[in-house]
Amino acid sequence: MAKAILYDAIKCTACRACQVACKGWNQLPAEETTNRGTYENPPDLSFQTWLKIKFTEVKRNGKMDWLFTRQACMHCTDASCVKVCPTGALYYHELGFVAYDKDLCSGCGYCADFCPFNVPRSDSNLWTGVAKMDKCVFCTTPGLDRIAEGYEPACVKTCPTGALTFGDRDELVVVGGERVQALQANGHPNAYFYGDKELGGLHVMYVLGDSPDVYGLPVDPKVPAAAIAWKDVIQPIGWAVGGLALLGLGINYIIAREAKLRRELPGRKEE
Amino acid sequence: MEQEVERYKWIKMEQEVERYRKPTRILHWFNGGAFIILFFTGLILFIPSLGFLAVDSWTRILHRIGAVIIVAGPLIYLLTNWKASWKGLKEAFVWGKDDLEWLKAAPRYYFLCDEEAMPPQEHMNTGQKLWWLMVIVMGVVIGVSGLIMWVFKTTAPAALLQWSIFAHDVAFIALGAMFFVHVFLSVIHPLMRPLRTGAWSSMARGKVSAEYAKAHHRKWYDRVSKGMKESPSADE
Amino acid sequence: MAETFGRGAMTNHWIDIRNADCIMVIGSNAAENHPISFKWVTKAMERGAKLISVDPRFTRTSSKADIYAPMRSGCDIAFIGGMINYILNDMENNPGSYNMEYVTQYTNAAFIVNSEFKFTDGLFGEVKDGKYTAAAKNTWKYADTKTPATDPTLKDPNCVFQLLKKHFSRYDADTVCNITGTPKDVYIEVCQTYAATGQKGKAGTIMYAMGTTQHTYGTQNIRGYAILQLLLANMGVAGGGINALRGTSNVQGSTDMCLLEHILPGYLNVPVEGDTDLDTYIKRTGKHVDATITPQGLAGDKSSNWWGNSKKYVVSLLKAWYGDAATRDNDFCFHYLPKSARATVNYTHIGMFEAMGEGKIKGLWSWGQNPAVGGPNSNGEREALGNLDWLVVADIWMTETAEFWKRPGINPTGINTEVFVLPAACSYEKEGSISNSGRWAQWRYKAVEPPGEAKPDLEIMNLVMMKLKELYEADSAAPGREAITDLVWDYGEINADMVAREVNGYDLTTGKLVYLFTKLKDDGTTTSGNWLYCNQYTEEQGNKLKRRDPIDNTSKQIGLYSKWSWCWPYNRRIIYNRASVDLNGNPWDEEHAVTYWMGEAWAPQGDLSDDKGGDVLDGGWPAINYAKEGEKYLPFIMNPEGVARIWGYGRAEGPVPEVYEPWESPLDRNLMSGTQTNPCAFIGKYRNERGIPDQYPYVGTTYRCTEHWQTGIMTRNLPWLVELMPEMYVEMDEELAAEKGIKAGDKVIVSGARGEVRAVAVVTKRFQPLQVGGKTIHHIGVLNHWGYSGMAKGDSGNILTPHVGDANTTIPEYKTFLCNVRRA
Repeated sequence: MAKAILYDAIKCTACRACQVACKGWNQLPAEETTNRGTYENPPDLSFQTWLKIKFTEVKRNGKMDWLFTRQACMHCTDASCVKVCPTGALYYHELGFVAYDKDLCSGCGYCADFCPFNVPRSDSNLWTGVAKMDKCVFCTTPGLDRIAEGYEPACVKTCPTGALTFGDRDELVVVGGERVQALQANGHPNAYFYGDKELGGLHVMYVLGDSPDVYGLPVDPKVPAAAIAWKDVIQPIGWAVGGLALLGLGINYIIAREAKLRRELPGRKEE
Repeated sequence: MEQEVERYKWIKMEQEVERYRKPTRILHWFNGGAFIILFFTGLILFIPSLGFLAVDSWTRILHRIGAVIIVAGPLIYLLTNWKASWKGLKEAFVWGKDDLEWLKAAPRYYFLCDEEAMPPQEHMNTGQKLWWLMVIVMGVVIGVSGLIMWVFKTTAPAALLQWSIFAHDVAFIALGAMFFVHVFLSVIHPLMRPLRTGAWSSMARGKVSAEYAKAHHRKWYDRVSKGMKESPSADE
Repeated sequence: MAETFGRGAMTNHWIDIRNADCIMVIGSNAAENHPISFKWVTKAMERGAKLISVDPRFTRTSSKADIYAPMRSGCDIAFIGGMINYILNDMENNPGSYNMEYVTQYTNAAFIVNSEFKFTDGLFGEVKDGKYTAAAKNTWKYADTKTPATDPTLKDPNCVFQLLKKHFSRYDADTVCNITGTPKDVYIEVCQTYAATGQKGKAGTIMYAMGTTQHTYGTQNIRGYAILQLLLANMGVAGGGINALRGTSNVQGSTDMCLLEHILPGYLNVPVEGDTDLDTYIKRTGKHVDATITPQGLAGDKSSNWWGNSKKYVVSLLKAWYGDAATRDNDFCFHYLPKSARATVNYTHIGMFEAMGEGKIKGLWSWGQNPAVGGPNSNGEREALGNLDWLVVADIWMTETAEFWKRPGINPTGINTEVFVLPAACSYEKEGSISNSGRWAQWRYKAVEPPGEAKPDLEIMNLVMMKLKELYEADSAAPGREAITDLVWDYGEINADMVAREVNGYDLTTGKLVYLFTKLKDDGTTTSGNWLYCNQYTEEQGNKLKRRDPIDNTSKQIGLYSKWSWCWPYNRRIIYNRASVDLNGNPWDEEHAVTYWMGEAWAPQGDLSDDKGGDVLDGGWPAINYAKEGEKYLPFIMNPEGVARIWGYGRAEGPVPEVYEPWESPLDRNLMSGTQTNPCAFIGKYRNERGIPDQYPYVGTTYRCTEHWQTGIMTRNLPWLVELMPEMYVEMDEELAAEKGIKAGDKVIVSGARGEVRAVAVVTKRFQPLQVGGKTIHHIGVLNHWGYSGMAKGDSGNILTPHVGDANTTIPEYKTFLCNVRRA
């Protein structure tokens, strides 16, 4: 029974208790930040910041609005990161979201290159090249696995307004859809349910008050064409080419050796 | 079989022909070694069951060391052997009717070891030219894409990184497959023997026997041995 | 609120907010500073409730609101006054849209006022030395102060309703919007939307906080809300009420236990010079049985005048404190209580620091308090601290107050104050109770040991008191020593449980815990440390603050949760709930009935039932029409006249609110009258330079953010919170920033008459310039969380605020002052 998180951007007051809860539960250190003239901090996700809230001021027809959205792993059903991870460090949890075995990470950074939401971040050493990736793992870090114990993720637990809920994905899809319909009828004509079908269905779904691009989210995110070309096309071709080459060389050797011997020892045929 | 063993006994000839100069050989072996490091550290990312070997970034460090060597090598060679580089590059990019003839003769030659079927070849036969061209072109592709993936990992736009990985993979497959062919044809194929005086020797010691040179690269041999007398060979 | 209803406290409770049909958040930024409350606001909105946010700045609360109304800081009275005017006019035209029965029967709208009452040009009579004369104040009272006449038709020109109309007739929308800067169409929308809660069956609630109270007329701001809510019949009903959001998590507890200069535990009055004995004191406070006022001509004919019981509570308190030493013969040790000189001396925070500045105070104990950052006019207050001989700071971190003597720019050798720091345990390191804004008190447990030498406050107090007793026992010549030596202090190794029982009180004849304050006596046979908390600990149920039973046992699921913790008084969750029903005891709002009369009795009350219940009645007498003559109890039991006071004649500056400008105003005149500022406001003198608009043209206002807490001494030491909000910042609109060449993230200096602060500029669309009185007004929002101590340091916003305070409470005017800004 697949599980998911539903985030309601209309209920969210951007208090950022979720940001702190994520750090607290996953024992992530605080980053040193400065005030760049905005409430948003840290400025970006990092290997130490798996979740942050984004603030966007917009003025529409003279009316002020302040849009909040969370930024973290969307836990796609068709996850580009899982597709391209060479070591299998990223894989699908039995409950459908993207799980991660950090010990297996090789630091290649492919996940970061291919994620349509630009989520994974690496802790990489500039000189040695040693790197490890980190991102939201739906609170399933071994030893800190809330889901296995039957609890909701830390962010969901902490949210004071109920903007975050956790449960069976099928149910949340219904809840989210109904909520968006209600919003469309009541002051938010462009309300949008994000994550129902995108990328096979996201396990972190958003109820948005406006279209995704207003929040800085990709409108129709897809697994990048390069990932498909690479993994689904070239990869099998590569096996074929390599295999054929080796096979061809093997056959060539057998035949050529026999042929050469025959030429050098004319009577060989009789033996 | 006694006769066969005797057949392949090493024969010392008094005359040998230099095929590859020392700088060229040094470049070949450094780059070859680097290629092997690069190939295998890349291969474990290609084969999922071997992926665990990449954990903790060790193989990436090795890959980067190999990358530095394989890029630095040709650059150094280029700067210090300008004339030879120019000559060598021309070999890769000048093609003609002769190459078509090689293609027609190749199946008989390589499978049935019919040496008469093959028309006389230049310093590099068409097959070698093909490999050399591929090394240059795919080398650039794999090098540039690799550079983007290494240096511009955090600054390049996502699409550029993604297609760089794709190109890197395509070049890897092409070079990898051709690498097997290269190794096979250099030291395993029956026609390239004996090792002491044949293809292996050309890159290991820089020289081949005049016999080998005459048999495999007639056109080139005739040019470099103009006016030289042939010593008797054990064959005759 | 005490003026209007008889006691000041959030009238409803947090969860009840979800029952509202319309929520007006004014003088509050609940989403940011009371984030948990927003759970209930969100639930209300899910049910279709409308949210109105009134604020100079578009905050995180405003981002959730259906209507955002910008308002110049300090103009609440104009804003609300205009709404009152709108409603009064609408009542004339559409009385059916309002609950006129409630207004007539449950408030003093129908009462006839003294015919001498006169209001001229901003003043309610003669002012002398910053106070209205006694003669002037007399004219504010009812014509007949014992048995006031009423006109239930509300037509008598001297009745409160008509006087109200006349007073607020000047508050038309154009005038109001010219003062507040609110766009008129938005303002009208607010009026219409909120006025709609006046209908029977609809409830509107007001959530307010420091934005309302921290002005020189803060009390009158709240009076404005009270009048509004009474006209709309929103008091005592579910989803209604005036919800004062307290500024810190246990300040309700601290004021309940009288940590203010004018009260004794349970909001009894502090005795003053001139209270020669107990009875004189009781009479003087007006909280005595003879103070009952019986209105004539209303359906209800009896006022319970509950404060008339105060003697029982005072005596029980004195017995708790002095035990056997307190007897009827010695007035129960009443003479041991210090007599305040508050008629002439101002003992509030500002008054205390003024005195400190003048060198009149030798020592200060700053307990869990950081005045060096939290008090107004920081430069002045920090300097004043230097005049102390000794200072004790009990706190969980090293605060700016503890380190005032080595603050930046100061030479410590010039300061002679001896500073003692007592490390205290934080809330997870000790056991005890806290009381939330909703008057609910909950028991909290100890999770970890305090670090190092830190001790719980209770232990510190116990050690100090035992030592004081020891010293006073030994010194037979010390003046007034009996006040300490006769004090009952037999805790030994103290714990919160003992204190909780003592606060509840005992029946001395049986030795058992008293059940309820109705059982407290004035003959010395009962004790109670705080009559309001009597019933928190009973023989049958034990410590009720520990209860955590999440059952909503009300018939209409209005969320009282009467078995979850305990609230005062008597676990009554919605106070004044007799006003939630009509004269027959039927709820005005069936769907959200707080209680209902079942013919013989009220619905099962509070935790006495498991379902189909209601709240504990505010006085269990029958519904008015079912009661006997002479026993028809009116609903607002804490007022001597039994009804809520739309007309509040007990306040310092007038019976109804009137627009005044703040002490530092961008305008050189009051656009409503010839009286510029509140004539009764407290104006400090110590280092309190006043700014003028020519030098400081912008309106400064201080406020908080979600990520930090109060003076920041806890949160600026926590890396995760510092990560979110790392530096002191100010907010300004894009136009002002462009004028000054300031970009978002630039370092700026905000200056005022009393000092300067350095900060990072947050340039935002959320502040907009307002058109006020023909001028363009810009606000500068200043955060007040930073100081020179702790991990993340910064300048304190309160360097800019003035040493002036409200006329009734002296709460400082943190919310409006003048300032200027330039790039650093």
